[in-house]
Amino acid sequence: MQLAERVLLQHEVEQFLYAEAALLDARRYRDWLGLLADDIHYWMPIRRTVTVGDLDMEFTKPGAMAYFDDDRQLLEMRVKKLEASTAWSENPPSRSRHLVTNVRIAGVEGDEVTVEACFHLYRTRLNSEVDGWVGRRIDVLRRAGDSFRLARRHIFLDQTVILATNMSTLF
Amino acid sequence: MPDGERANGSWSRASLMSLFDRERGVLDRRVLSDESLYRLELERIFARGWNFMCHESQLPNTGDYLVNYIGEDQVIVVRDESGRINVLLNTCRHRGNALCRAEQGRAKSFVCTYHGWNYGLDGRLIGVPGLKTYYRDDLDLERHGLVKAAQVDSHLGFVFATMAADAPPLSDYLGDVGLAGLGMVGAFGEVEVIDGIQKNVIDCNWKIAVDNLFDWYHVTYSHASANSSGFTEIARFLQPNQQMVMLGEYGHAISGPAMPKARQDQIDGLSDEQRVEMAKTLPGNIVRIRPKAAAGLMGAEGVRSLGHPNIFPNLWITLGGLQMCLRLPRGPSSTELWWYTVVPKNASPEFRRQAIRFCNHAFGPAGLFEQDDGENWSQSTRAARGVSSGAIGHHLGMGVGRDRVTVSATGERFIETCINEHAQRWLYRSWTEWMAARDWAELRANHSPAPTAAV
Ligand code: FES
Ligand SMILES: [Fe+2]
Repeated sequence: MQLAERVLLQHEVEQFLYAEAALLDARRYRDWLGLLADDIHYWMPIRRTVTVGDLDMEFTKPGAMAYFDDDRQLLEMRVKKLEASTAWSENPPSRSRHLVTNVRIAGVEGDEVTVEACFHLYRTRLNSEVDGWVGRRIDVLRRAGDSFRLARRHIFLDQTVILATNMSTLF
Repeated sequence: MPDGERANGSWSRASLMSLFDRERGVLDRRVLSDESLYRLELERIFARGWNFMCHESQLPNTGDYLVNYIGEDQVIVVRDESGRINVLLNTCRHRGNALCRAEQGRAKSFVCTYHGWNYGLDGRLIGVPGLKTYYRDDLDLERHGLVKAAQVDSHLGFVFATMAADAPPLSDYLGDVGLAGLGMVGAFGEVEVIDGIQKNVIDCNWKIAVDNLFDWYHVTYSHASANSSGFTEIARFLQPNQQMVMLGEYGHAISGPAMPKARQDQIDGLSDEQRVEMAKTLPGNIVRIRPKAAAGLMGAEGVRSLGHPNIFPNLWITLGGLQMCLRLPRGPSSTELWWYTVVPKNASPEFRRQAIRFCNHAFGPAGLFEQDDGENWSQSTRAARGVSSGAIGHHLGMGVGRDRVTVSATGERFIETCINEHAQRWLYRSWTEWMAARDWAELRANHSPAPTAAV
C-alpha cells in the first residue's frame, strides 16, 4: 500500500472509531447498533493474574467463560435494556468517556481492516462512583459504502478482578 | 449503643443474640456495617466453618493450584504428587510473604520470593538457602511447613476446608439441606467447572449478597429490564405461589420455586430416557428434568426444588445447578463475587454451548441479570453506616409466623408457600448463633435445630 493510501485508511479508521465512541458517550445506543455488522462477535475474555511460566492461561479461550461473548442478538438485548427506565444500574445513567488511542492498522484483507487500539473507558455514576477500565481492543472493520461496519471486537482488559459493581456500559 | 452491650470491647453473648429479632424478623443494621462484628465474623464464621475451595476438575494434574480464601486468609489449593488436594495458608513461615501471587497456575514447589524458602506441594519445608552456613543447621524444617487447613474434605468433587480441628465432619456440617444443595449441581452426573471464574468487587456487606439469593421478591422488580430486554421471561420460572423452603442446621437453606408434588409424581414414573424427551418439549434452552438418580442426592422432596441453595456461609448455587457464586468478605462494606459455571461431563456439545452462553450473560458483572443487583446492595450497605439510617431495623418480616414446616415420611422438612423471607430469617438467626458461640462445642450445643412446626 502506498503511503498516501495508508494515511487515508488510518484517517478513515480513526474517524470511524471516534464517531463510534462519541455515540456511546452520548448514550445513542440505537445509532451505535447501526454501526455493527450482523455477524459481529463482541468478546471480552476473563483475564487472570498468572506467573510468567503460565502466561498461556492468562486469558480464557473462545467458548469458555467470558465477561462478554455477544452476537448481535445479545447486543440488541443490552441496548434494549439500556433504553428501559427500569435498568437500575443505568438509572440515573452513568457518565462515560471512551478514550481510544494508539490506533494501529494490523492488517487489511479484502474489505476487512483489522485494527488494534488501546482504550480508557472512564465511567462515573451517582455522586462518588468512579470506574476506569483500560485495555486493548482488536477490532475488525468491514467496508460498507463510504464507512465501515464493526464485524468483530475483542476486548482485553488490564484488570483481572473487575474492580466495579458492574459493567453496565459498552466498550 | 446501650450500656453494657459490649463487655470489655467484645460483644457479649446476649448482645450478639439480640442483633436479630427472630420473632419479628428485624435485623440490627450494625450487623451490616460494624467493624468489630466483621472481625468477629472472620473468626467465628469463616475460620470456623467449612469454606468452599474448588471443584476437583479445576485441578486435574499434579502441581495445579489456585488461590482462594477462608475469610480474609489466603489459601493455596493444590494437588500434590499423591493426588491429594491440600489447602495451605499462603504465607511463608519465615516472615509472612505470600508464596503464590498468581490466581492459579502450575507449580513443582512453592518458592518464596523473599529469601527463597522452598515448600513442597504438601506444604513441607524442603529447602532453606544457607541452612548449613547461616543457620548452622539450627532450624527444624519439620516444624516450619506451611500451615494446613485443619480439615479438607469433598462431596461430589466439591472441595471444602475448615481451619477448625473440632469442626464436625463435612457431611455432618452440610446436613440434609447442604447435601441436597450440592446434589442440585451433581444431579445430572459428574460435573466439571468451565474454565474462567468471573470475579468482581461490590461495595456491599457480604450478607446482603447472601440474603439476596433467597430473595425471590426482588426478582420481578430489580430485574424488570432483564425481562423487557428479551433475555429471559421471569414469569416462566418465578412461580410466586409455588415456593418451597428447606431450612438446614447451621444456616444452610434452599429457597425458591418448586415443582408441584403432583407433577413430580408424574415425573417419578418416567424413565431417564422419557425425561430427556419431556425436557425437549419445555420452553427455554437449559431447562432440565432431573434423572432418577437425583432423588438420591437431593431427597424425594428436595428434588422438586428449582430454587437457590446456600451452603452456609457464602456459597450460592443457582440456575438449577449450572452456576455457583462465592461471596468473599473484604471488610464490612466490600464483597468479592466469584462466579463458577459447572456442567455435566457427559453433556452434549450443544447443551454445553447453550449453558455457557446463558451463564455468560445472566450473572457476573456484565450479566443482564446481575448488573442491577450491585447498586441495591451497596446502597443498603451505605445506609447501614449512617448514624440515623443505621439505627433503623432491617425488615425481614415477610410471612413471619404464617407458615408450617411439613415433615415427610423420609424426614425431609420443607415449607410450601408463596414468596416469603423464611430463609433470610434463618440465615440471620443462624448467624447470631454462630457469632454468639465461642467454639464448636458451644455452637453444637446451642444452635437451633431445623424447625419442624410453625415458622
Ligand atoms: S519471607 Fe519467605 S523466605 Fe523469607
Ligand atoms: Fe438479583
